[in-house]
Amino acid sequence: MRKYIPKDNVQKKAYYTDRYHVVPTVPQSKVDEGSYFAGVLNALGNTVTESSVQLGQLVIHIAPEDNFKVMKTLKETCGYTQCSEQSAVDYLAKDNEFELFWQLLNVGVAKRVRVHCRLANGAAIESIEPLFKSANFAEREMFDMFGIKVNNHPFLKRILMPDDWEGHPLLKTYPLHGDEFASWYEVDKIFGKEYRDIIGPENRDPAKIDIEDTKRFSRVGYEVPFGAEYNAEEETDIEYSETALVNYNKKTSKQLDERR
Amino acid sequence: MAQHQVNYASSAGLPIALTSVDKLVNWGRSNSLWPLTYGLACCAIEMMASGASRYDFDRMGTIFRASPRQADVMILAGTLSKKHSEFARRLYDQMTEPKWVISMGSCANTGGMFNTYATVQGVDRIIPVDIYLPGCAPRPETLQYAMMMLQKKIRRESADMKKNTKQDLTTQTGKRARLI
Amino acid sequence: MQVSNKLTPFFENLNFERDDNTMVINFGPQHPSAHGQLRLVLELDGEQVVKAYPDIGYLHRGIEKMAENMTYNEFLPTTDRLDYIASTSNNYAYALAVEKLLDIEAPRRAQAIRTMLLELNRIISHLFFVATHALDVGAMSVFLYAFREREFAMDLMEDYCGARLTHSAVRIGGVPLDLPEGWLENLAAFCDKLDHEVEHTYGALLNENRIWKMRLEDVGVISAEDALSWGCSGVMLRGSGVKWDIRKEEPYELYPELDFDIPTSDRCDSYGRFRLYMEEMNQSTRILRQLIPLYKDTKPQLMAHAPKYISATKEDIMTQNYALMQHFVLVAQGMRPPRGEVYIPTESPKGELGFYIKSEGEPYAYRLKCRAPSFFHTGLLQNLLVGTYLADVVTIIGTTNIVFGEVDR
Repeated sequence: MRKYIPKDNVQKKAYYTDRYHVVPTVPQSKVDEGSYFAGVLNALGNTVTESSVQLGQLVIHIAPEDNFKVMKTLKETCGYTQCSEQSAVDYLAKDNEFELFWQLLNVGVAKRVRVHCRLANGAAIESIEPLFKSANFAEREMFDMFGIKVNNHPFLKRILMPDDWEGHPLLKTYPLHGDEFASWYEVDKIFGKEYRDIIGPENRDPAKIDIEDTKRFSRVGYEVPFGAEYNAEEETDIEYSETALVNYNKKTSKQLDERR
Repeated sequence: MAQHQVNYASSAGLPIALTSVDKLVNWGRSNSLWPLTYGLACCAIEMMASGASRYDFDRMGTIFRASPRQADVMILAGTLSKKHSEFARRLYDQMTEPKWVISMGSCANTGGMFNTYATVQGVDRIIPVDIYLPGCAPRPETLQYAMMMLQKKIRRESADMKKNTKQDLTTQTGKRARLI
Repeated sequence: MQVSNKLTPFFENLNFERDDNTMVINFGPQHPSAHGQLRLVLELDGEQVVKAYPDIGYLHRGIEKMAENMTYNEFLPTTDRLDYIASTSNNYAYALAVEKLLDIEAPRRAQAIRTMLLELNRIISHLFFVATHALDVGAMSVFLYAFREREFAMDLMEDYCGARLTHSAVRIGGVPLDLPEGWLENLAAFCDKLDHEVEHTYGALLNENRIWKMRLEDVGVISAEDALSWGCSGVMLRGSGVKWDIRKEEPYELYPELDFDIPTSDRCDSYGRFRLYMEEMNQSTRILRQLIPLYKDTKPQLMAHAPKYISATKEDIMTQNYALMQHFVLVAQGMRPPRGEVYIPTESPKGELGFYIKSEGEPYAYRLKCRAPSFFHTGLLQNLLVGTYLADVVTIIGTTNIVFGEVDR
C-alpha cells in the first residue's frame, strides 16, 4: 500500500494570504417547525444526528450503519423515490474518514434531501441497490474512484477504470498525472514492458519543445517520417497534385498575376 | 458502321492517358479514402457534421465505413483513454494495408487539456500517425483540409506495398526508434 | 484456435458458445451506433437478449480529478467536454452551482442571454438526437435534413461565442459578451424555419412512418416506477408519464416568467420519447420567441457585481486601480468561495444535470461531482435490454440519448 500523504501541490500554496480573511460559510438554517422538512425529520426519528436546510434542500447527517434504514424510510414513508446522486468525499488526511452523500428527490412535491454520513477508512457501507436501482452504477463508481467497499452489491466491480487498474483515482493521494503504473499502462498492455524503452516516457509538459519536430512540423516539402533523419536542404517534390487542390510546385503568385 | 469505329492509335484527341503505375494506383487510393467511423469524443460530432449535409464529405470520395477491414484511413476523433487504447491498436491492426491515420483534435495529438492519469498522451504512442489535426474541436473544414493533405501525401508515396508496409511492430531508424 | 499474443490477447480465444445454449457477443466500444464508446456485453438466446452488461469508462478522462486541481474559472472550459453536444448547458450548470455557492446572481440581461443559449443548445441537442436516432434505426435522409438545421443553430452559436462545439459561452457570474448585431433577427428566422421543418420534414418523414413506428413502438418500455428508481430524468422520465421538468419545478434564470408546456407521454416506449423530443423543440422555439422582447427590456450589464469573486468590467480594470488589483488577485490566485457544499440541478437536454461542489474555502474545489443524466441512463440499459431482440438494441441505445463525455467524465 502507498503511504498516505496529504495533498501536496505546490501550485496550491497561495503566496499571498489575507490575514484578516475569514472564510464565510454557505448559509444554513434550522428546520422550521411545521415546515415540510420537519415532517421528514419526524419520520426519520432519532437516526438523524444533525440537520439543516441549505439552499432549499434538507441536509441530514446519519451514522453509516443506519443508511439502509434511513433510505428505506425516506423512500417508503416520505416519497423520495429517486436517488439522483451518490458519491464520496475524501477526508482521509484530516479525519481518516470518507464523507458519503446521497442526494434524494421527491418528484411529487419537488423537494430534495441530502443525506451525509462519515465512514471510517476501510469500513464498508450497506448497498441501497434494493431500494434505488440507480445505486447500482453509482456505488460501483464510488468503489472504483475511492475504494469504498459496498456490502450486498450485486456486481461490485470497477466501472470507469479498467479491471486491472491499480489505485483509486479520486483519492487525494493519487496524483493527477497518474502513478508509475498509470503512465505505462497502454504500453505495457499493448506492446509489453520491453517496449517501454523504445516508446519512451510520456511527455506531460505542455511547454516542452522538441527542436527537431518543430523544424519538421508542417513544412510541406520537408516531411519525413517520425524519428527519421531529415535534410533541410533537400526538398521533396510533391508530385501529381494537378487533379485538385493547390499546386505547391508552382509559384502561386505567378498564377495570380496571370489571372489578374 | 465504319464511322463509329475509332482508331485509337491514329486519331487525334486520344482517350488514352499515359502515366506511371505509381500515379495510377495512388490516384485510385487517394480519391477513394474510406475512413473508419472511429468517433471517440467531441471531435466525433464534428466528424459527423463533415459527413452530413453542409460539408458533404462524400464528394471527396470519402465514405465512412463501420468496419476496419473495409477502411483505408483511421480518423481518431477525440480523447483516447488508457482503457480504450488497446482497442484502438487492435482496430488499427485489423485494417488492411495500405492504411493511414489522422489524429483529429488536440486530445488525440498530445492529450490536450486532459493532462490526467486516464488519457493517452498522444495516440502516436501506440499508433503511427500521418496527419496531426489541431483544434479543440477542429471544424469540419479542418478535417476536410486534413483529408486533402493526406491525399497529397498518398500521391507522393510509392505504390509499392513493400516499401510502405506498416505491418512490422517497430523498426529502428536513426537514433530514435520509430513505431509503425 | 488462434494463438494468443500481446496484440490479439483474448477475444479470439473466447468460447462464445455456452453450455446453456446462450451466446455472448461484444457490442462496441467502436460501434457506429453505440453513440460513442459504449461497450455492451450481450448474452443472447437465439436473437433474444438474456443479459446485458454495459461496460463504460472508455472515455474516462478524469474531469472530476481535474476540477480539484484547477481554480473555479479555469475549470469552466473543461465542462464543455462533458456533454459535448450541448456544451452551454454544462457551462451553465457549473456556473450556476458556483454562483449559488458564492450567493450571487447574474444580471438580468445575462439571464436572458443564458436562457436563450440554453434553449438553443436544447434544440441543437434534440436535432442531433433525431438525426442519429433515425440514422441508427435506418432512416438516412432524416440525418441529412436534421444536420442541415443543426448547422443553422450552430451558426447562431458561432456568431455569439465563436465556437461551434465547445462554447464556454457562460461564465461564472454572467456572460462574457452581449449579443452581436442582427443576432435576434437571425434567431427569429431560425425559429420560424425550425418550426416548419419539425412539422413538415422530420414530422412528415417519421411521425406516421409505418416502418419507423414498427421499429419504435413498444420498444424500450419502462414504467414510471422503474424510471424513477433507475435515476432517469429528462425525457426518459417524462416519456414514462412523470411530469417532471426542473425548469418548471425548481426554476432558474428567466424560466418562471416564460410560458411553455412540459409535454409528457404515457406510452413509456421509444416512440413516445421520440415524439417528446419533437414537441420539446417546438416548446424551445416558443421560449426563444418570448425571450426576444424580454432581452430588449434589459439594461446592458453582463456580469454580476461582486468584487470579491468576479473581476470588474474591462473598462473599470483599465481605469481604476483597485479594480485592477482585484482582477490580478482573482486571475493569479482564483476566487475563494465560502466553505460549504451545494448541489444544484438543472434541466439539460438529456435530463437532470447537477453539480455537487464541496468547498473548503480554497480557490480549488475540494470535491466536484458531476451528476450526469446519461450515466444513469446507461445503467438503465442492463434492465431495458433484457428480453428484447438484438435488432432493437440499437433503437434502445438511441432512445436513451446517452453521450459518453458525461457518462465517463
